[in-house]
Amino acid sequence: MFTIDTRSRVPIYEQLTEKLKELIIWEVMKEDEQLPSVRSLAQDLTINPNTIQKAYRELEREGYIYSIPGKGSFVSPVKNEINRERMEMLKKELERIVGEILFLGVPKDEVIKLIETMEEPERGGDDD
Amino acid sequence: MIKADNVSKRFGRFDAVKDVDVNVKKGSIYGLLGSNGAGKTTLLKIISGIIRSDKGVPEIEGSSIFEAPDVKKRVLFIPDQPYFFHQSSLFQMASFYKAVYDRWNEERFHQLYKHLDLDPNRKLTRMSKGMQRQAAFILTLSAMPDALILDEPFDGLDPVIRQQVKNLLIQDVSSREMTVLVSSHNLREMEDFCDAVGVMHKGKLLYERDLEELKTDISKLQVAFKKMPDESFLAGMDVIHHEKRGRVLTCIVRGAEGNIDRYVRSYEPAIYDVLPLTLEEIFMYEMGSVGYEIRNLIV
Repeated sequence: MFTIDTRSRVPIYEQLTEKLKELIIWEVMKEDEQLPSVRSLAQDLTINPNTIQKAYRELEREGYIYSIPGKGSFVSPVKNEINRERMEMLKKELERIVGEILFLGVPKDEVIKLIETMEEPERGGDDD
Repeated sequence: MIKADNVSKRFGRFDAVKDVDVNVKKGSIYGLLGSNGAGKTTLLKIISGIIRSDKGVPEIEGSSIFEAPDVKKRVLFIPDQPYFFHQSSLFQMASFYKAVYDRWNEERFHQLYKHLDLDPNRKLTRMSKGMQRQAAFILTLSAMPDALILDEPFDGLDPVIRQQVKNLLIQDVSSREMTVLVSSHNLREMEDFCDAVGVMHKGKLLYERDLEELKTDISKLQVAFKKMPDESFLAGMDVIHHEKRGRVLTCIVRGAEGNIDRYVRSYEPAIYDVLPLTLEEIFMYEMGSVGYEIRNLIV
């Protein structure tokens, strides 16, 4: 389903939570879909199961997934809360990047132009 | 699962292990790291009940392991040089293991040597170092241990076998909650494999921590300012190390990320980046702050 970059500086636990969040946000994993069990994911990716457990716990704490004892973990119904949180994160990230670009001496107009050339994705219901 | 309080061992006038406390949780993979001659092997041998400590008794689930066959049946040790009987083959060693370990799983044994493609009739002493190590893993894992103590286990294994062996270990950890205590000085490898680490140096355990905790506790910042703030900027954080290259300031800072973030932003930096640290870097700086040189730790 996904791969882990063992050469990256980013801790595996963080890579896991990020990847899963991405899958959930882009609705690759649908509402109430079951996540792979800790055991099978550990075996597939050769990752310490405790690391996976921790990533799942974190996702649950942040509301991305919920777990049913004895059954496993499932994707939470999409909540605006999650989207808002993610939006805040992305906005901050954008701020940082733009700040860096401006620091490097790129004129503001150019950045604005760049944004204007980007198209807004169509926001349909179930268009995938 | 594995607990040792104040364990010490002296060889002649040499303190091999000095007042070491180790705590390994059930189902955890614990990495024992440190320089050569730090006392890792001695500590592992004490914990697996091979040598007796001078002071402090290690306990496996509350019972002492030294000269306790019942406990030893559940705790297996693979030394840095696997030992086999003279002239024996894998099959012959297996029959010995079967007689000693009553949880021996014959089916698993056959599965494992086929999986690793090892000839069970060939004399083990004539095999290469890496193959001998694989044989040790096959025998040990077939005995279904509750706790596995490994001394430099991946030494001499090629990348493919390394990954396969790790995968086997992880299967046991995730399905049966096996506990693994593994020594190594390969920090890069341990970083991905362990969830807790203990660092030894000169017979002492410097610290033991949860790996994620260790990583979130310390971060590397890259900051640049339009106008450089004065000394008070650095003084306001727990800076372990800092370096200035041109206008960019790199610092290694201890503390919660959120607090650091707020603090740095209050100075309105032009560029501000937080980089995750590798285990190697953490050691380098942490050790530097207590007066140990990096050269002492990573070989």
